[in-house]
Amino acid sequence: MMEEAASQLEREHVHSVYDKIAPHFNDSRYKAWPKVRQFLLDLQPGSIVADIGCGNGKYLHINQEVFKLGCDVCRPLVDAAWSQGHEVQMCDGLRLPYRDGCFDAMLSIAVIHHLSTKERRIRAIREMARTLRVGGRIMIYVWAMEQKRRKFEKQDIFVPWNPNPQGPVKSRRRATAQSVSEAIDNADKHRKVRSTSSVADEEDLTSATPQHRTQRLWFFSRSLDSVFDFGSLTLSRSSSRELSTLSSPTGESEGTKATQRGRGRGLIKQVSSFFYPASVLGSEEDVFDPVTDLHKAPHDRGGNYNNNAAGSEGPDNQSVSLSLAQECGSLALPDLVPFQRGHLKQSVDVGEGGPAGKERQESTQSPQGSEGQLEGSCLRYYHVFREGELAALIENHVEELHVTHTYFDHANWCVVAEKVQLWKI
Amino acid sequence: MKLLTHNMLTSHVKGVTKGYPLLIKATEVKVNEVEFNPQFVSRMIPKLEWSALVQAAEGLGHRQDLPAELVSEYEKDEEFLKKVHRALLEVEVIEGCLQCPESGREFPISRGIPNMLLSEEEA
Repeated sequence: MMEEAASQLEREHVHSVYDKIAPHFNDSRYKAWPKVRQFLLDLQPGSIVADIGCGNGKYLHINQEVFKLGCDVCRPLVDAAWSQGHEVQMCDGLRLPYRDGCFDAMLSIAVIHHLSTKERRIRAIREMARTLRVGGRIMIYVWAMEQKRRKFEKQDIFVPWNPNPQGPVKSRRRATAQSVSEAIDNADKHRKVRSTSSVADEEDLTSATPQHRTQRLWFFSRSLDSVFDFGSLTLSRSSSRELSTLSSPTGESEGTKATQRGRGRGLIKQVSSFFYPASVLGSEEDVFDPVTDLHKAPHDRGGNYNNNAAGSEGPDNQSVSLSLAQECGSLALPDLVPFQRGHLKQSVDVGEGGPAGKERQESTQSPQGSEGQLEGSCLRYYHVFREGELAALIENHVEELHVTHTYFDHANWCVVAEKVQLWKI
Repeated sequence: MKLLTHNMLTSHVKGVTKGYPLLIKATEVKVNEVEFNPQFVSRMIPKLEWSALVQAAEGLGHRQDLPAELVSEYEKDEEFLKKVHRALLEVEVIEGCLQCPESGREFPISRGIPNMLLSEEEA
């Protein structure tokens, strides 16, 4: 039951999103993280390495002395990697099609944060450990809850993907971006670097100046783990229908079936729809609790998403809800942040700092046209990790892996672990 | 899909215990020229399931008298290493499928990419 909920959530808000946005990944705004590159370069010649969740294969060209293969669930991305000459397969991280202990090293870069339950994240790590040889090393990167200037309030979030990251950026900043890009370009002749995309995103993330009010919307959800703990299966049908505006509509009638499957699907819609823009919530407020609020709200809903969406007062609810249906926010994702952050901090003059609350901008734009199709379907699910969470997950649940390094890198928590021989008495 | 990759792949259908090696049924095979690096090949050999490589190469008609058993002291045998290099890295299955030896389940290979995704029931 939980399994099905989890895999459906991931199908809708990870797999199908990547399928849609895959063509854009071949923009060079997605660069290889230097520490990952170094991990690969440090490998013994003749090593066999697997990149699990390789995407378009951006790490697969590094180090000609080792044999690399990659895999991913996203066909368009895997095709792109193959066309670059890499050995790649389609597969799911929860069931790797490789024999035990055949790899000398592995990468899992920005992958397992897309798994929607703790149990699945553990399974994914265990699968990778299985295919690693004793003494082999794995490097795992996941998005961190604690970002440089603010912290996500919750760990389970939906983030819109921005197809056009070059938002309102001043020309001064653009100039700065160019010099950073040139520096990157010189360092890495293999890749063409696009000028401003990644830098623009970095600024969107940090700037809070009123004149450059950009949309930084992201949506919180209850973690699937907690939804099931709270017995939220009893949530009403009508709410599930109404709240499903932003998930892809299907023909099924939620909750009318007596079967578990029907209830499960209804719950999925509720879970994936239970996200609200931070601005609706106010500054430091916790995620809107769907269970309690449904009890509060009046029963004649009239099928209007906006009215009962937040359950709280405020005329800006409607415009916010609608505009969040319109916008793919310009939130910078970790893989968009350029690695020469030091340069940026010096040369870019932005209104930084301030409490986390200030950084959440209210949407002031009115709805722009047809509702919710592209944008709703461009929301990616993430479980962002707290400090120490990834290492603890491995230490407590994957006995064949021993953590050797942990660090923070560009908005990611990173772990390097080694496969150890287990001796059973 | 190159044969070096094939050497790592196994069937992971639920319940299957003898899912390796996968049987290759190829409808399109290419042979490319790949730069020969003897040290690289030499280092790969101990990591291989040797008989699976020979079986796969034979099935594709590209065995080129690779021995059934590994010879000792192959590190210096350049002729041998060249043959291994060809089998591992130059022969490529573009279209076809990989068949699980136990369940018979076929995993398609298209445009050079094996699709090892399982359905809900198989996983």
